[in-house]
Amino acid sequence: MTIVARLIDVHKTYRIGHVRVPAVRGVTLDIEQGAFMSIAGPSGSGKTTILNLLGALDTPTSGTVQIGEGTTEGLSLNTLADFRNTHLGFVFQTFNLIPVLSVCENVEFPLQLQGIRDKGERNERVRKILLEVGLGELADRRPAELSGGQQQRVAVARALVKKPTLVLADEPTANLDSETAAEIMQLMQMMNEKHGTTFVFSTHDPLVMERASRLVRLHDGRIASDESGNGGRRAS
Amino acid sequence: MATGAAVQAEAITGRLRFLAILQLGWRNLRRNRRRTWITATTVALAVLLVQVAVSLLLGIEQQSFDNLINYQTAHAKIYADGYFARREELPLDYTLTDLDELQDIVQSVRGVAATTPRLSFSAQISNGVDLYGCVGVGIQVAASDQDVFRIPQAVVDGEYLTLDEEGILMGTGLAELFGVATGDWLTVLTRTKAGAYEALDLPIVGLIGTGNPLIDRNTFLIPLKIAQYMLGLDGAATEVAIRFTANAHDAQTIADIGRAVDGTEQVEVKGWREMEQDFMALVRLKRTGQGVFLVIFIVLAVVGITNTILMASFERTREIGMMMAMGLRGAGIRWLFLTEGALTGFVGGALGSFIALAITAYFATQGINLTAMYGDLDIGYPVKDTIYPAMNGTVIMASWLLTGVLAALASLYPAARASRQVPVEALRHV
Repeated sequence: MTIVARLIDVHKTYRIGHVRVPAVRGVTLDIEQGAFMSIAGPSGSGKTTILNLLGALDTPTSGTVQIGEGTTEGLSLNTLADFRNTHLGFVFQTFNLIPVLSVCENVEFPLQLQGIRDKGERNERVRKILLEVGLGELADRRPAELSGGQQQRVAVARALVKKPTLVLADEPTANLDSETAAEIMQLMQMMNEKHGTTFVFSTHDPLVMERASRLVRLHDGRIASDESGNGGRRAS
Repeated sequence: MATGAAVQAEAITGRLRFLAILQLGWRNLRRNRRRTWITATTVALAVLLVQVAVSLLLGIEQQSFDNLINYQTAHAKIYADGYFARREELPLDYTLTDLDELQDIVQSVRGVAATTPRLSFSAQISNGVDLYGCVGVGIQVAASDQDVFRIPQAVVDGEYLTLDEEGILMGTGLAELFGVATGDWLTVLTRTKAGAYEALDLPIVGLIGTGNPLIDRNTFLIPLKIAQYMLGLDGAATEVAIRFTANAHDAQTIADIGRAVDGTEQVEVKGWREMEQDFMALVRLKRTGQGVFLVIFIVLAVVGITNTILMASFERTREIGMMMAMGLRGAGIRWLFLTEGALTGFVGGALGSFIALAITAYFATQGINLTAMYGDLDIGYPVKDTIYPAMNGTVIMASWLLTGVLAALASLYPAARASRQVPVEALRHV
């Protein structure tokens, strides 16, 4: 079994004024390559914090976050940025597309960040992924001209275009109606099965949880349960 | 722990290429068009005012230089050795005598268009009641002085001097001071080189208005032969004035003249800038003062850009967080906002420059009549009542570039602030 990310006894405590608020308390978790994993739990249970730690967007108060062979401990902001650029894809609840860029430019953005100078190569990769997510016809539109579901498809394409090791999706369906949410989950599941990309997403939607190959439930910053699900690709 | 191959790959530095930043920055400016235009218009107004002011000052400067050359200094003058140091005393002890030979030598120098002898002297003029000390200048009337100076064009009343005919041409200011007009008679009182008093009654044949206070208020012109006769200096002059050709290089021509006359008489050659070094120093001082003032003016205008970029960075906090999450380094964020600030400055600068060009081009041909606007105003430069702004491509380009650079500098703080965002906090921003 190939592990792409691991949390070892991770604690994360936020300080709000003089009050210390523990968000994650001693979480240990392995994430296998190819997993389609859901982190579920009520608001404040630590889902987003764990995604932020896995996404090298935040560092733990104690414990170790390993992604691949390295840990995020003590890394500079620039090194963390380079690491995210190379290995991670993000899908946000509010899509977070760049409004002044077209669909294809939004998807091209991570490739530009990766320093791929060949415009032809970038265009080809963008074209392929847009076809896969079903947006080939909308490549020249601006985000404001798309529906929520279409915007989230762009976000998925943007996360996948650089072929990341791990895609982190923070409540990717929370801003979508149930039908669109199901389509987005289906799309991510399809990408997981087709390309073997590892997905970790947070949710509190039971319909979304059903699609996961592994379901980790959190409660008060601790893992309450960790069980196999029915959906997604079998982790390798 | 087994690891995925991709995870072991070298990290790629998250930097956007310059063109990508430029494109993104340009589009971001169009997000809030009204705000961008308001900011750019403020900058444009500042650049417009600065460029029009500079054009006006350059025009006044150039007209001052032309005025000095046309009515007072010519491009260069040759004096007898020792005269220049004491020129303000108007001494008659240092005169040039072999005028024809000297003029022939000088006129053979490349870059010299014409030469003429002049005899300057200290005199008093009287209308029978008042006596006033002023400067008399003997000029060679026929086909000589007017080849070097432009006195005939400055005659505002009466006529120019006629060949060796007794008459006096005086500045309008001096005539006004004395309460005399064309056709009136004045007594010119002076002393010969030997110290004897000499007086001569002369009719005023014309009045000249050059815009140069030194001439208009303090000088009268008479034919050279009469001046020589009055001063007992037949065939002599205190100076030989020289006009250069249009394409002559001043310093080079002066040096060539110096070499050409070396070994003839004991003479010294002085260029107009050296003759007017006090005025030139004043011009430099004014330029510095005005330059500082104008730069401060632009700085105040571009400070508005700080506010605009700061607001934009607040509004786009989540977007900044998202770009950082995707791997864009803080430096990339910084460059993006600096570019947006600089672009605002360049757009405003271009707009202001364009309008300034149109205004300057119009007034460069039509002129601005200061007398019509402000009456008889002394602006401290020897210029006539109508001034013509001068267009200068270097000034336009420099002020445009300066505006862009200052605008980028004005964006430093908001850009630095944006680049120091912590991605996870920026993403939570509502």
